[in-house]
Amino acid sequence: MTEATAVDSSTVVIEARNLCKDRVSNFLRKHYRVLDGLNLQVTEGTTFGLVGPNGAGKTTTIKLLLGLLRPDDGTAQVLGKVAGDSLALQQIGYLPETPYFYSHLTGREFLDFSGNLFGLDSSTIKSRSQKLLERVSLQKAADERTGKYSKGMLQRLGIAQALINEPKILFLDEPMSGLDPLGRMDMRKILLELKAEGRTIFFNSHLLPDVALLCDRVGVLCNGKLVAESSMADITSTGNVQELEEYFLQHTRSEVPSP
Amino acid sequence: MSLRPVTAIALNTLREILRDKVVYTFFVFALVISLFGLILGSLSVGQDVRMILDLGLFGINTIGGIIAVFAGANLVYKELEKKTCYLIFTKPVSAWQFIAGKYLGLSACLLILVAAMGIFLGLIVYFVDPSQAFFERAKWISVSVLMVYLELLVIIAAAEFFSTFASPIMSVIFTVSFWMIGHCSASLQEFSRLLTNPLLKQLSNLLYWLLPDLQSLTRARYLIMYGQLPGSEFCLYLSAYIIAYAIILLVLAALVNEKRELP
Repeated sequence: MTEATAVDSSTVVIEARNLCKDRVSNFLRKHYRVLDGLNLQVTEGTTFGLVGPNGAGKTTTIKLLLGLLRPDDGTAQVLGKVAGDSLALQQIGYLPETPYFYSHLTGREFLDFSGNLFGLDSSTIKSRSQKLLERVSLQKAADERTGKYSKGMLQRLGIAQALINEPKILFLDEPMSGLDPLGRMDMRKILLELKAEGRTIFFNSHLLPDVALLCDRVGVLCNGKLVAESSMADITSTGNVQELEEYFLQHTRSEVPSP
Repeated sequence: MSLRPVTAIALNTLREILRDKVVYTFFVFALVISLFGLILGSLSVGQDVRMILDLGLFGINTIGGIIAVFAGANLVYKELEKKTCYLIFTKPVSAWQFIAGKYLGLSACLLILVAAMGIFLGLIVYFVDPSQAFFERAKWISVSVLMVYLELLVIIAAAEFFSTFASPIMSVIFTVSFWMIGHCSASLQEFSRLLTNPLLKQLSNLLYWLLPDLQSLTRARYLIMYGQLPGSEFCLYLSAYIIAYAIILLVLAALVNEKRELP
């Protein structure tokens, strides 16, 4: 049993209050609201899926929760700290939508680099790297440069680097996007294992079958607003993807302006 | 605050630059100096060592400077452009740790390269003129090369500062201008003495104090090369001045980075 298994399910670990973010156009400096008054709470041990059409504000939400962006209004807290606080980041793992790695490093060197950024000691990094490389089935390619990796391999290395600090919370931005069916199956397997360990997982996706399979709660984001939020059990008692699709369409259709 | 992230970023930067085959520039330097040494050796009129030393020092400064400017101009920008910084700033790494790590990585790379070129220069000089005591001459060459390295430390800091907010092309232009003006600082001081308008005089003085005085460094370097040490106090003052200047630029770079959002 891992440390992450012993959880108090009522503890809120991710919280957004009236979170707003504007995008400023380059030329006229015009402000566009990309996230509009997001209120959200995610409790410890929950797998939360944020779904929504392209441009709904999903990636912006994750970046605000990680402190990569600063809110124009409202607050974002992770593990009781302001988003981006180094004490919170110490216990967070993040996989970006497109994994951006240093092509000159090998997979093993990249994990070593990631571990050092968390201030871990060399022996811990070495043992964790080996276990993680095996877990994501990259042990054979561990000493190849990441520049030669396929998209699926990069995504798996991305998951490995996100786990190097044994995080309490994982933020995954479109973890399945661009993967072939085999790659998606591998990623789903890893995420189900992480969920079984009791880690809190916050992920963005527009692949509803994956959301139906993995999530405990679902939020629907449309035009920067959280238009619906519910537990997966309330949406579909059988895990039926069609019921989730209907739920998604029902809440997004009313928000998307008709042409 | 842990230094481990700083060393990790520095090592990663060093690896990246070395794997970009930047060290090959050493062979260009070695080839030019060797050819020059052989030609001068055969046409010896007593000034061959002096000319090899002049050319060697100029070569180390120019090659080191070009690498400092071009690699420095990409230091931060490349991380932003390739979005690799997303994986750094979602870990407990502060802006100053990032800036310091990038700076130390490029500085370490240049230290290796400058040291290799300096050693090669010493060997060529000894080969051309073995009459003078090797260790005595090596001492002066080492101190002169160290002065070149000090100058490069400021250039790296300037390039890194500019790369936090400008594109690589603009950073190169800014850094080269900064470098060139730094070598004309005495002229700027002279110019301010000639001015009669008090406002222009003050402006010129202000520019002199704002820009680095790299000319004194070059002067001291050449004096040292020929065994005329300008005084340890002066050398210490110059070193402290250069290091302080580099630190100020790095603090400014860290401040710019701290304010940045990563959309």
